[in-house]
Formats: sequence, structure tokens, C-alpha cells
Amino acid sequence: MVNFTVDEIRAMMDKKKNIRNMSVIAHVDHGKSTLTDSLVSKAGIIAGAKAGETRFTDTRKDEQERCITIKSTAISMYFALEEKDLVFITNPDQRDKDEKGFLINLIDSPGHVDFSSEVTAALRVTDGALVVVDCVSGVCVQTETVLRQAIAERIKPVLFMNKMDRALLELQLDSEDLYQTFQRIVENVNVIIATYSDDDGPMGEVRVDPSKGSVGFGSGLHGWAFTLKQFSEMYAEKFKIDVVKLMNRLWGESFFNPKTKKWSKQKETDNKRSFCMYVLDPIYKVFDSIMNYKKDEADNLLQKLGIVLKPEDKDKDGKALLKVVMRTWLPAGEALLQMIAIHLPSPVTAQKYRMEMLYEGPLDDEAAIGIKNCDPNGPLMMYVSKMVPTSDKGRFYAFGRVFSGKVSTGMKARIMGPNFQPGKKEDLYEKAIQRTILMMGRYVEAIEDVPSGNICGLVGVDQFLVKTGTITTFKDAHNMKVMKFSVSPVVRVAVEPKNPADLPKLVEGLKRLAKSDPMVQCIIEESGEHIIAGAGELHLEICLKDLEEDHACIPIKKSDPVVSYRETISEQSNQMCLSKSPNKHNRLFMMACPMPDGLAEDIDSGEVNPRDDFKVRARYLNEKYDYDVTEARKIWCFGPDGTGPNILVDCTKGVQYLNEIKDSVVAGFQWATKEGVLSEENLRGVRFNIHDVTLHADAIHRGGGQIIPTTRRCLYACLLTASPRLMEPVYLCEIQCPEIAVGGIYGVLNRRRGHVFEEQQIAGTPMFVVKAYLPVNESFGFTADLRSNTGGQAFPQCVFDHWQILPGDPMEPNSRPYQVVQETRKRKGLKEGLPDLNAYLDKL
Amino acid sequence: MLHVIGLGLGDATDVTVKGLEIIRTCDRVYLESYTSILSTSLMDLEQFYGCSILEADRELVENNADEILPKDEKENVGFLVVGDPFGATTHSDLILRAREKGIKVKIIHNSSILTAVGCCGLQLYRFGETVSIPYWNNNWRPNSFYEKIISNRQRNLHTLCLLDIKVKEPTIESIVKKKKEYMPSQFMSVSEAATQLLKIIEEKNEGITKEEGALDKSSLVVGLARVGWDNQRIVACHLGQMASVDLGPPLHSLIVPAAELHPLESEFITLHTCE
Repeated sequence: MVNFTVDEIRAMMDKKKNIRNMSVIAHVDHGKSTLTDSLVSKAGIIAGAKAGETRFTDTRKDEQERCITIKSTAISMYFALEEKDLVFITNPDQRDKDEKGFLINLIDSPGHVDFSSEVTAALRVTDGALVVVDCVSGVCVQTETVLRQAIAERIKPVLFMNKMDRALLELQLDSEDLYQTFQRIVENVNVIIATYSDDDGPMGEVRVDPSKGSVGFGSGLHGWAFTLKQFSEMYAEKFKIDVVKLMNRLWGESFFNPKTKKWSKQKETDNKRSFCMYVLDPIYKVFDSIMNYKKDEADNLLQKLGIVLKPEDKDKDGKALLKVVMRTWLPAGEALLQMIAIHLPSPVTAQKYRMEMLYEGPLDDEAAIGIKNCDPNGPLMMYVSKMVPTSDKGRFYAFGRVFSGKVSTGMKARIMGPNFQPGKKEDLYEKAIQRTILMMGRYVEAIEDVPSGNICGLVGVDQFLVKTGTITTFKDAHNMKVMKFSVSPVVRVAVEPKNPADLPKLVEGLKRLAKSDPMVQCIIEESGEHIIAGAGELHLEICLKDLEEDHACIPIKKSDPVVSYRETISEQSNQMCLSKSPNKHNRLFMMACPMPDGLAEDIDSGEVNPRDDFKVRARYLNEKYDYDVTEARKIWCFGPDGTGPNILVDCTKGVQYLNEIKDSVVAGFQWATKEGVLSEENLRGVRFNIHDVTLHADAIHRGGGQIIPTTRRCLYACLLTASPRLMEPVYLCEIQCPEIAVGGIYGVLNRRRGHVFEEQQIAGTPMFVVKAYLPVNESFGFTADLRSNTGGQAFPQCVFDHWQILPGDPMEPNSRPYQVVQETRKRKGLKEGLPDLNAYLDKL
Repeated sequence: MLHVIGLGLGDATDVTVKGLEIIRTCDRVYLESYTSILSTSLMDLEQFYGCSILEADRELVENNADEILPKDEKENVGFLVVGDPFGATTHSDLILRAREKGIKVKIIHNSSILTAVGCCGLQLYRFGETVSIPYWNNNWRPNSFYEKIISNRQRNLHTLCLLDIKVKEPTIESIVKKKKEYMPSQFMSVSEAATQLLKIIEEKNEGITKEEGALDKSSLVVGLARVGWDNQRIVACHLGQMASVDLGPPLHSLIVPAAELHPLESEFITLHTCE
């Protein structure tokens, strides 16, 4: 039985200090959905016995079949905490004095890298994260990626060591080895946290610490878990030590000598590590007695631990009995709930330090203050982070978080897309919110209104937003910041309907597909081809399946996957490039040069970005990249899309009326950086300098129609005279396998232009981790190839890592880049051959 | 040979006798259609000149000029320009290109708005730099013409403001795409020009002391419509009033006179005051 009603949940929504918005994040197959079941079952939504098998938050059929989470799923749950646990919450912003209940809005996210964008969308609307790590595999590449993203979004983490059952049953680690494994994982996680945040940063201490109770241990599959708090409580009375003090003694270099009853900080001959002695030993004993069928010993233990079994469970033995015993003794839901309630921030706490990361506008306007104070009476500020398909085909719930004010059924609000700019009408709609709803995993519940600090869905907004947006009632509100994804859509396929008459259905289906996924891009090429671009092979496979079965509902033909490339240059332009406007009265003089190594990545990561104060940015560019300060202050823009890794720098001296053509030049720059000269792929890592400009005396003769095409031609000439090159995307590929399979991995990687840069054994296990760089173009079929060459023992995770120059000159026929350029041009319906410099460069 | 022939301001009959004779000998005749308009249609012109005329829009003249130029020494091409051939700076490029190719160029002059404005009574000797007032859009709001008007006024000179004409101009959005979309034809009226001027004045004057020669709502301006046509109109009034004056169909021009007028100028201007 569900142990709460929607009315109760609605009442809790007003008690914003007792709300926890959290995501569950981890590497693929580390057991997020399985672990989430424990909480769902504690809330009474599924039966306890089914927890760990149901994967309630895997709502799609394919998710259940493949045992992999594809979409993030939200669920709201109500729990009450016991009096003895409430005292652990000391911050007044973390709990309403008189309220024992907590509203937990949980989002279970996918672990496969291809679906990272779902994680990004989940993190944006939550304040805390439960980071799940398989204690056998340890911290993996995706653990690091999601954790890094969480820290960057100012999301506070707690850690859970999952799959302890495997460590005990399969690996049979002894207790000291297991402690060392845990210790290493905690350290690894804290190293990542320390790399991306400081203890004296706005979030305060972010590190996880078992002795504080922010690290949990257990098995999601078997439904048991604990933190040191649970064990400390068991022993506190016996030792007559305060629970908190005891927690400190149960972790780390703390040893107890049972004979002398003395604690020590060093290992001595007759003392033992307290964690092993008091925490692991009892668990080991339970495992040993049950799995080895020592019935008497087991009964004895159960009595000691005060575990009373239900009559129907008494006849069980072996693994089945073990499960029942462990989940009765150490119920996972309870341990998780305590970690969440005690250690994760409430919206009140979190929004104070998250506001400046979330809001684009001035940090002291009404909206900013409303967000900072999580004020339900402030102006409405809601961020829609993704669209969730409804049962009504073609319609979506806009899913997001209310940061300020209240959103209610029927209210009129401003719906602002990512291209909205304050004071302008673009990408802005003023419409009524048809309905507000609560997301409950597999179903939804209607709700009258939702106040700040909560997560909810909206009906009727989907037609005004493409993927994400800001919803507000404040007319001067700026946008909430758009999300930055850790992966990019580098793999693409072309699709067409099997029956040409179905084309309109395909077009409509593509629109829906684009809406339903935060990352996927659906593009129509000039040649009329419909392109779907995704993060990887799996992502595309799921997108195509959804398109075929849910969005377009027609049979579809698809091309082989191709990757997108980037165009760049390898030298400075070999001459000053001049282009004249169509009326010949305006002349632009420019040159291009490659950016220094690292700058493009700095722009990708947002370290250098268009919103920076120009003086601060100039100083940074001067110190790190040796740019001239005066020039660095005159960066006109970034591109493509205003944020990309190419810049346009004004190096002119004393040109009159230059400001009147700036917008037109910027528009031409955005155009040229989006569609490069070789094959109309994006540019990357190019700096353009405007050296001189000659203008017509009259403003009317230097409008956009004259300047925009001229800028593009001039930039193209700059590129062609600067030894253009192609760049291809490269995956970082992490492969786990037993030692005997390592040889096979090298063989496969060599054939695919990959190279291994790290190989090491996972401490405490016979498994090896091989890390390699693999061009995305060579990755199609890689997983299958790898499996067949290693007897199915190697599992790769590929995540986009960087762009790398494809060796060779694209202007040289027969070179590899030349072929790529020609294939791309052909696909896009462009004239075959090479671009002609004379079409872009004019003579003085 | 390339003949660049001015057509004058009004209708088909404004062409000079010399011009007409040349037109009739040409193998191909183009009418440049994007810097000005005549009161008559292309068909009337064809009928009057007794030859067929090709329309030359901006794309043809600016991007495919070679198509217009004579193919060989014997071919005669007439390029008709409303007003005077050099009234629009745009055509100097065509002439340069013809010369580059060794093609002879002959110019037939005619009256232009630059001289015809004398009809409002302001003396041509006292006009300073001519400016154009372009249509503003969301991102492009140039106001350098205002500075030029002011600097003319500081030297006690009148300013002739030519007003924007948009005929078959691609939209800014479509410039960066391969498929061109065109804006609907637009001709700026004196009231639109006055409104834009008032906006600039408002923005410039915020908190700053007025500079010498600055305009305000009560500055005198002269609006001219369809100069050289049968239904020509001229109105002199305050800038504030001009924003709501309707002078009828295009083309319009606006004059911002110097602050001090010669007595004869003042007398002449009073003929046009709108009360």
C-alpha cells in the first residue's frame, strides 16, 4: 500500500525545509535503479519482497528488457523520520521544527554515457545526489563524469557502496581487504570532489565521510544497507559512548583490543580494526552461517541481533533466507532515507548558493532574490529541464523545478525559450498553464499548484518550448542558464520513410523525437536529407526505435552512421585577405590564426565565455595564452551559436562607424563558423582578426545585406589561406575485463586506430581496466567486435573526450581528409570538388 | 558601348531627347529598379521608347554585372537610371568594370533629387553632406546620419535626407541561408523618418546638455514627396509635427534646414508651412 496521499504530499510541499530534491547517479550497471527500489518499497509503492527486482523507475518496456535505464524518471515520496534521527539535523534551514515528515523528490538517471544528457537534466532540478558505486568495480569513467557535473552544478553528493553481496559471495574478500576497497573508493571520490570544489567554497564541505554517515554500504539487489550510524546506535549503549563519537571510531585508523578493552590509533598484534570487528564481522558471520547452512549458528545469531522472521520466511534457506535476514536486520530504505534527509540539502539551503549559477540576470533583481530565498511568494521562476512523453501521442509534460513563486493550474505565465532576450519578443509566449502535475514514476497525479523548491510537470507548455526553457510571471525576468552537456551529438544517421508517402509523418515524428530527448538533434540538410545526431551508437539506436514505434509510427530506412567533423586551420593565413561587398564600396581586411592549445577546450568548458567581464577575460587570456591585452579586450564574439570555440577579434585602429557594422560582421561570423568552407561543418579553434575596414560614407550602403555575405566570404578566404584541416571526435574508452582478455582488446583497438594509454588491475580483484582513445568513426560495431574477440568478457564504455586533427591535407586529392570532405559535401548536396579561393578573395 | 542614361524624376517623358535617341539604337536596354522609382510603369516606358526593357535588380547589378555589359565592340547596351546616373554611388562600380574590360562608356545626365530639392526654396549652395536614413530593425539601428545632420547644422548648412527604399531586399534571416526570402517592398515616409530622428534625439539627450546645433521637436524640417511628379507635395513644419504628417505615396525625402535661414529662404518656406 502506498503510505501517503497526494494531499499529504501537497501539504509537505509548503514545508520547503523538509524537502529533498535528489538524483541517483552512477556508472552504468552499478545498480542505481535497483537501489532506488528500496526507497520506493519503503514508501509502500511496491512490495518489499519485489524491491531490487522490479526496477520501478525503469518505466519503459525496453528498459526492463535490456536491464538498462534510458530515460531519467522522477518520483515523489513521503517519509517520516524518527525522533532519534531528527537530532542529527542541526541546520535550522534543513528542517521545520515541528515536522518529522520529509518529501523526497527522487530522479533515477541512466548510467550509460550515451544518455548523459538525461543526467544533466536531472541534476539541474535537484540539489543533492546519491552517487552509487559498485564496490567491486570501483570508481569508473562515468562515475567521474557525473560526479564532476554534479559538483559543477553545485549539487551535494552522498556516496553509496553497492553490491556488497558480490564482494562477499563471489570475490570472498576478507574483511580487511574489503575495508581497504571501501577506503580506496571513498578516497577516489573525494579526490574528484576536491578537484572541482574547495572546502571553503559556497557549498561548504562537500567531501563524503563514512564516519559522518554520508557514505552508505550494502546491496540494492538484496535490499539491505547501512551507514556507520546504524552500527554506532547498536553499540552506543553497550560502550556507553555517544553515537556520534562512536561513528568516528568505527572508521579509519581506529583499532580495538578486546582483551585490554583499549582503543588505539595503530595496528598492534592483538587489536583489530574497529570497522572490521564491529561492522563487517557480524555481517560476515550472518553470511557464513546461512550460506554454509549452519542452522544452529544462524538461529543463534538471529536471536542476538534481535531479528524476528515472519512465519512464511522461516522455511527458506541459502540465498533466499540471507536476503530476508539482511533486509530485516538492515533495511536499505531506512539507511538511504537517513542519508538523504540528514546529509542532502533542502531547497532553502541549496538555492542560496545555487542562485548565481542558475540565473542569467542581475543577481539582485526580484527573480534572483526570489530564487535565493526559495520564496513561494516571490515571482514565479521555473526551469523546464526536459520533456516527458504523455500517454497522449505527440504531447509532452514539461518537467522542471520551481525555484521561486508558485506555479498553478490555469495561471498565465511567460514561457521563455533559450533564445529569449530580455526586452525582446523572440522565443517568448504568454500563455496559460493548462495543468500542473506530480510525477510519480509510472503514473502522474494532478495537483492544484506547486510552490518553490519542488519538482513537477506542466501540461500545455510543450508546444511553446523546443526542449527546455524558463517559465516566469516576472516581466523583467532573464532566462535561467541553459544546461551544459558533457557529451555532444557526434554520431549521426540519415533517415527516410520506407514508403515515400509517409514523409509528412516522418517530419512530424522527428519534431517529437527532438522534444523527447534533451540531447538529440534532428536536422534537415540542404540536400533534403533528415539527419538524427546523437551521443553514441546506443543513443541513436534508442532514438530510431522511438521514432519508428512511438513518434512517427512508420517503417523507416536508415543510413550507416557517420560522425560529424570540425574544420580548423593549422597555420596563420599566408596573406591579408580582402573581400568587397556586393556594391564594392565596403572592404574588409582579415586574417585567421589557430588558437593556442587548450583555449578551445577552455571555451567548451565555459572557463572562457562570452559572459565574462571583458577585462577579467583579457587578463586570463594574456596570462595563460599570451594574448595581447588590448586585443583580447576587443573580442567581438564567440561562435558558432554565440558560444562556440572560435573568436572574432577587432584589431582595427580608428575606423569610423565600425560599430554600425559590428552586428552584421558578427552575423557573418556566426554563419561562417557554423558552416565552414570545406564541407559546411562547424569550425573549431580558429581566431579571426579584423585588421582594417573601409566603409561607404552612407549608412544605407553598409547594411546587413552588404556586410553579412562579405564577412563570410572574407572569413572563408582567411581559412583557405591558413592550411585548413579536419578534426574528428575521439572517444575515451574504458574497458573492464579479466587479464586473459587484455590481448584481444589490443588487437581490436589496433585495427580501429585506437591506442591504449593506461592499463591497470583493479585493486583487490582479478579484473583489469584498459583505457584507450578511439576515433568515434571507428567505434561503430566496436562493442560487438570486442566481445567476439574476448569471448564476451570485455565491456567497453565510450565517452566523447576530445577533437583531434585528422592527419593529412584536405586540399590534397587522395588524402583521407579530402575523401571525408567529398563524402560530406556529397551527403549535404554541395558541389563536389574543393572550394575555390578566388570566389572569396577579392583583389585590391 | 555602354550608355548610362538618366531618366529624370517624373514619368517617361522626362528623358532627354539625346537619351531617347540613344535608347532607340541600343541592342539591350536595362532599367535599374532598386534605387528609385518612376511614376509610370515599365510598360508605359517600353511603349514610349518603342523598345523592350529588361529589369535589373540589385542582385543582377551587384553580383552579375558581366551579364549586363556589352558582349563585343558592336553591341550597344543602355542602362537606365532614374534621376541622374551618378546620383546613386552604386553605379560607379559598373562603370569601373566596363572600363576595366576596355568597353567605352557614355553618360547622359538628367535632373536628380540632389538638385531638384531646390524647389522648396532652400538654396542649393547651402546644402552640406547628403545622408540616407535607413530602416531600423531589431539589431541594426545606425544613427551616424544624425551626427552628420548636426555637423551640417553647426556649419549653418542644410541637410538633404534620402529615405530608405527596400525593393526585393533579402531578409536578414535568409541572408545566412541558401534560400533567399525577400522582404515586402518598403518606402520610408517623412513621418517614419521624423519618428526615427525623434527617437535618436530622445536617446542622445538623456542627461546630457544639448550640443550646438542639436535638433529638438520644434526644429523646422521640410518634407518632400514625389518631387518632379505631377502630384508633388512639399510641407514645412516642426519635426514633432512631421512625425504625424501623411504626404501620400512614395518617394519621400526630408530636409533638415540650417538653423539660420536667408530672408528669401524663409519667405519661400512659408509657402509650404502646413497651417
